[in-house]
Amino acid sequence: MGQLFSFLYKYRAFFTFLTLELLCIWMIVRNNNYQRVVYFSAASGFVGNINERTNNISDYFSLKKVNSDLAEENAMLRTLLLRTTGTPIDSLKAFNIDTDTTDAVQYRLIAAEIVDNSIRLSHNFFKINKGSKDGIKTGMGVISQKGVVGKIRTVSENYSSGISLLNSRNQVSAKLKNSNRTATIQWDGDGRNPRIAKLLYITREDDVNVGDTVVTSSFNAVYPKDIMIGTVASVKPDQNQRDLEIEVALSVDFGTLAYVYVIENIYKEEEDSISLNNPIDFNE
Amino acid sequence: MSRNLIILTFTAIVLMLFQVLILKYFVLFGIGFCFLYLMFLLFLPLEIGFASAMVIGLIAGLIVDLFYNTLGIHAFACVLIMFLRPYWMKWSKPRSGYEINDLPMITNYGLSWFVIYALPLIFIHSLTVFLIESGGNQLMGLSVLKSVVTTLISLVFMIAIQYLFYSKAKR
Repeated sequence: MGQLFSFLYKYRAFFTFLTLELLCIWMIVRNNNYQRVVYFSAASGFVGNINERTNNISDYFSLKKVNSDLAEENAMLRTLLLRTTGTPIDSLKAFNIDTDTTDAVQYRLIAAEIVDNSIRLSHNFFKINKGSKDGIKTGMGVISQKGVVGKIRTVSENYSSGISLLNSRNQVSAKLKNSNRTATIQWDGDGRNPRIAKLLYITREDDVNVGDTVVTSSFNAVYPKDIMIGTVASVKPDQNQRDLEIEVALSVDFGTLAYVYVIENIYKEEEDSISLNNPIDFNE
Repeated sequence: MSRNLIILTFTAIVLMLFQVLILKYFVLFGIGFCFLYLMFLLFLPLEIGFASAMVIGLIAGLIVDLFYNTLGIHAFACVLIMFLRPYWMKWSKPRSGYEINDLPMITNYGLSWFVIYALPLIFIHSLTVFLIESGGNQLMGLSVLKSVVTTLISLVFMIAIQYLFYSKAKR
C-alpha cells in the first residue's frame, strides 16, 4: 500500500495531467457536435462489427429454428401461389384478376438480419445489418414473417438501428380484424413483459373477444395494412369505465428474432406530403 | 517577486482580452491563426509547480474555448503544453541556468533562447488544437500546415510584443 502511495506521489504530476486531460476530453465530447459524431460513429461501427461477429457464431445454434421458420413461410407462399395461378380451364374464370394492383407495387421488401436486439429495457431498440448502402431510410417499417417488429430510426452506411415495437414510445396504428375497429398498439414499458402489448382506445361498446386477431391498419405509410400484430389475450374494463383494457399477445417472439424484412413504401413521400398539407394533426 | 506577479497578471488579462475580442477574427489565408494568449502561459516561472501550472493552463484554455465555441479543445492543448513545459525548460536550459526571480522571457534570457523555448511548445499546442478540431487524421496535411503557419505567426507576434512593451527589469 505504501508503495502504491509512493508510486502515485512520485508520478503525481502525470496523474494530475491525466485527470485534467480526461476532463477536457469529456468536455469536448459533450459539447462539440462534430467531435461527438466522429467519436461515436467510429465507436458505433466498431461495436456493430463486434456484434455481427458474435452473432455469426450464435447463428449456427439457431439454424434449425430459422430453417423451420423459412420452410413454414415457403409453404405459406406456395399455398398462395397455388391459389392464384392455377390455369383456369373454365373460361368464365379467365379474366378473374385477384391482385389488387395498387397494393401489388407499393411495397418493396429488403431482407436483413438482426445483429443486436434488446427486450428487457423499457425502451428497446434493435440493430440490423443493412444500411443506407442497401437503400434503408429512416422511418421504414420492419416486419418479420410473424408480424410487426418496429421502425427504422437511424441509418449508417452498413447498419441501421430501429425502434422496436417493445418500446413505450413506439405507437402503431392497429385494427381488430373482425370488426375493422382501429386502435393503437403500445407496449407498456413498466410491464416489462416482451410478449404482451396494450391495445388502446377501444371503447366499451365494442365487442372484443379473447383470441381476436389484431393487425396493422391502413392509416399509416410505414406498414402495409393487415400485417399481423398479435391476438387478444385478455379483455377487461379499465379503471375509468370508459375504455376497454385489452392485452394483446404479440405474434413476434422478440427473444428469438433473427431475420426481418424492411419495408420500403414507394409512395411514402407522396402519402406523407398529403397528410402534412392537411390541417388535421395526423399521427402515424 | 511582486513585480513579476504584477507583470503576469497584467499580461494575462490584456492578452486574454486581446485574444478573444480581436485576434479571434484574425485569420490569415484561412490557415494562419494567432494564439497569442500562449505567451502568458509561457511566461509562468519554472518554480510555480506542475499542478498549478496545469490548472492555470486549463482555465486559460477554457476561457478561450468559451469564445471560440470549441469547449475543451484549447483547454486540452494548454494542459498538454503546461505538462511538457517543465521538461522542455530543463532540457533547453540557458548556459548560465535559470535565475530564481526571472520570468522566462526575451529581456531576461535573450531572443535565441526564447525561440528555442517557445517554438516547439506553440507548435505542439497548435497541432493538438487543429488535430482535435478536424476530428481524426483525414485532414492531417492541412492540420500540419495550419499549425506551422499559426506557430510562426504567433511567435512573431510574441517577439514583437516583448520588444515593444517589456523593458529590462531594474534591479
